[in-house]
Amino acid sequence: MKGRFVISLIFAFMTAIVGSAYTADYPTKPITLMVPYPAGGSSDVGARIVAAIAEKQIGQPIVVVNKAGAGGQVGWTELARQKADGYFLGGINLPHLLTAVLDPERKAVFKAEDIVPIISQALDPTTISVRPDSPWKTLKDLIEDAKKRPGQIPAGIVGYLQDDEIGYFQFAEAAGVELRRVYFDGAAPAITALLGKHVDLLFCTVADNYTQWKAGRIRMLTIMDKERTKFYPDLPTTAELGYPTVISASTRGIAGPKGIPDPILKKLYDVFKNAMMTKEHMDRLENAGMPVKIMVGEEFVKYYWESYKVAKKWVDHVRKK
Amino acid sequence: MEALQYWIQGFAVATLPMNLLYAFIGCVLGTLIGVLPGLGPAAGTAILIPVTFSLDPIGGIIMLAAIYYGAMYGGTITSVLVNVPGEAASVITCLDGYQMAKQGRAGPALGIAAIGSFIGGTFATLALMVVSLPLANFALRFGPPEVFSLLVVGLSLVTGLSGRSLLAALIMTLFGLMLAMIGMDPVRGAPRFTFGIPPLYDGIGFIPVVMGLFGVGEILLSMEAPVLEVIKTKLTDLLPKREEWKVSTGAIGRGTIIGFFLGIIPGIGAIIPTFLAYAVEKKVSKHPEKFGTGVIEGVASPETANNSYANGAMVPLLTLGIPGYPTLAVLMGAFIIHGLTPGPFLFKERPDVVWGLIASLSLGNVMLLILNLPLVGLWAKLLEIRYQYLYPGILLFCILGAYSLNQSVFDVGVMVAFGVLGYIFRKLDWPLAPTVLALILGPMMERALRTSLEMSGGDLSILFTRPISAVLLIAAAIVLLTPAVRLLGRRAGKD
Amino acid sequence: MKRAWQIMCMAFVALSVFTLVLSFEYPYKDRLGPGPAFFPVWMSIITGVLSLALFFQTTWGKSVAYAAATLIPERQGVLRILAVLVALVGSLALLDPLGFRISLFLFLLFLPLGLGERNWWVILIFAIAGSFGIFHLFYYGLKVPLPMGVFGI
Repeated sequence: MKGRFVISLIFAFMTAIVGSAYTADYPTKPITLMVPYPAGGSSDVGARIVAAIAEKQIGQPIVVVNKAGAGGQVGWTELARQKADGYFLGGINLPHLLTAVLDPERKAVFKAEDIVPIISQALDPTTISVRPDSPWKTLKDLIEDAKKRPGQIPAGIVGYLQDDEIGYFQFAEAAGVELRRVYFDGAAPAITALLGKHVDLLFCTVADNYTQWKAGRIRMLTIMDKERTKFYPDLPTTAELGYPTVISASTRGIAGPKGIPDPILKKLYDVFKNAMMTKEHMDRLENAGMPVKIMVGEEFVKYYWESYKVAKKWVDHVRKK
Repeated sequence: MEALQYWIQGFAVATLPMNLLYAFIGCVLGTLIGVLPGLGPAAGTAILIPVTFSLDPIGGIIMLAAIYYGAMYGGTITSVLVNVPGEAASVITCLDGYQMAKQGRAGPALGIAAIGSFIGGTFATLALMVVSLPLANFALRFGPPEVFSLLVVGLSLVTGLSGRSLLAALIMTLFGLMLAMIGMDPVRGAPRFTFGIPPLYDGIGFIPVVMGLFGVGEILLSMEAPVLEVIKTKLTDLLPKREEWKVSTGAIGRGTIIGFFLGIIPGIGAIIPTFLAYAVEKKVSKHPEKFGTGVIEGVASPETANNSYANGAMVPLLTLGIPGYPTLAVLMGAFIIHGLTPGPFLFKERPDVVWGLIASLSLGNVMLLILNLPLVGLWAKLLEIRYQYLYPGILLFCILGAYSLNQSVFDVGVMVAFGVLGYIFRKLDWPLAPTVLALILGPMMERALRTSLEMSGGDLSILFTRPISAVLLIAAAIVLLTPAVRLLGRRAGKD
Repeated sequence: MKRAWQIMCMAFVALSVFTLVLSFEYPYKDRLGPGPAFFPVWMSIITGVLSLALFFQTTWGKSVAYAAATLIPERQGVLRILAVLVALVGSLALLDPLGFRISLFLFLLFLPLGLGERNWWVILIFAIAGSFGIFHLFYYGLKVPLPMGVFGI
């Protein structure tokens, strides 16, 4: 009796192991979507929205898990370590992930090649924001003033060596000015500081501004993108104002560890693309002020490596000092 | 007054049967989540966001808000019953609450917590309606320098918690500050003291440390001589005694005011209001030395403060769209997902949602009270389970809670390690609360100082030239120096 | 007790020295003021000084009224504490390889036994409910991810 029991136990285990190797039936168990930021932030919100929609299509629950810390580094370290079987995916933010890898001081234990981008969800360009009563009515006003007082004007920046700071560097280089940088952990404290007159302008993203802009408490001078955004149709782009090279954005998407087999990848492309193109997804993101941008597979990978080059330029620039 | 009219209309919305049901479900779910140590209101609320997807916006928000403050009360339950604080806001409640439970008075402790929370929350909600915008604007003047100085005041409160030895308390505080240094520093984002262990990049994790020091440590301590006879709580013991009601009134009053006003300053975090309320209560008390042994004001005060803080923190959220507190960020995320943008615009665009929510907050406080007061007896009965099952059961939930924070076994390991440390410190009678306070405030202080210096271009005087900051620093100096002066005075007197 | 306090003070002194030495790896000053090393250095120094002060106060100062508690508990107590620790560390170690359900099943089986309980049936039910039951509730019900071991359990 005992012998038979043991044998059937062994069989059960063997079946479990063998069964999980079947990629053709992917997915056969729940999928984890790891968000490297705290619950409630825009990355988390975006991930939960898409997960809830995609899981209906894919037939298995997509469990959103928060692994916040070190500006995302903790989560991405975890992602790079996971098995590439399609059951563990992670949200990524560019250029945040790239600067984390490139900056020697961050001591990242993973490399840019260890993570493979799957699909992007949103592309959030950087903006320069001021208070409604600010003396600078246009970007030109700001630049003139900044030239008169180099290094004096306190400018808030969301995140260290992230999209907003890269936006600042590009702007500073192109316009030939220098501001006094004040860093904030997230959009909320940064905006609080702007409203409270502790900084006089702010480098943040389209989504960050949205709530306050609707309330009339924030005004923007420019957006660092090639075309105007439908969220703020009256906002001139840097290109229109004479600085076409000043382009910066925070891009959010989903990625996996290197080595996910092609058939599974293809399934992921389809499922997430469909989920993101549903009206529900578009509407919810739009309500949050997040500009949707869907780049699937190859396109996103290309964007990933282009952003890598830009990030490398600025990280080297900072670390050489 | 317009606001009053809206408030009444809000009640019409809040009392719709479906919304009442949502609020009720939220309270229940929230309490259950809060009871699970470690899971915390923020994570719990976030997990339940998808549940609310299928509901209409108002219903969904009402349920989420109910989950939020239900979870806060759930955290209180574990603090009192098993000395495991569910999150930062419940830490102080452990000090006297758990002692009361050990004396068989878990009932009054939980009861006064519920009542205090109710009163604190309700007054805060009322104040919220009346003073929202002007107060919120004032609170905006608290920039990084002011926050730093306020945190210094907070840290100086440690002198009020010194218990047996002031030196030991100071060392424990510094221990907490040193622990806080682990992880990425706010200056350059470079990892400090991480020894190459990836989970440490973000620091040592406040919740596992607290759960270890307070919860696991306490269990280890109890194992020395577990109460073999179960403390039976009589039903009559469920309510506070008459004298206790009297002192609690003062505590509740003071707690409400402190909590609400600190709530409107974005970014402070719940631990400061509770510590401050407790310290103030101890200072004005006729028997300060009894604090920490199980006095009811020691529970009433922080519990009231943290609820009025939570409601006060709604002010910046609803008026300015700024979440002052991690759980509120989740709530704000929920607003956004449902297509609502918090901010003054929301007041104009959808007064039904805003006032419905505010009215629901008031109702929710009542609901929690009704839900929990009878249950207090039930919770207290839980303590009567035999220790061979009770403690493994508690540990099970601690492991679950610690793991679920970041899906990391490392956190569970931290909890166990600090459990051992907590046991050792308890044996030595060195205070644990200062370490916890420092662990939270440390990083905030370093960041605030750093940002202040960035603002001033490297000039430290910014802390003294700005009026609010200067006043706060002077207050901190007074708090810190008084015991030292008293000590010297006593010595001088003796000679 | 006095001895214990002295030992703890010296432990903190050692910790301060250790931290101080480590801190020098990081830059002390920065472009704008205090660098990453600034706070750790000062924390270590102050902690060291205070610990020494407490050591002196304990050894030669007026006696602080120590709690009457004896430091080492009686034998049964020690055994119970060890049981808890072994159970905790054991389940920790097994959590990732064996998964939540198995590790905690073993934990909930071992610990009540270790604490002296003998009612096998109740323990078994308790262990199954606490491990598999709770797992089911949280993983499937609340979608809280819990470790699944090598065997996918």
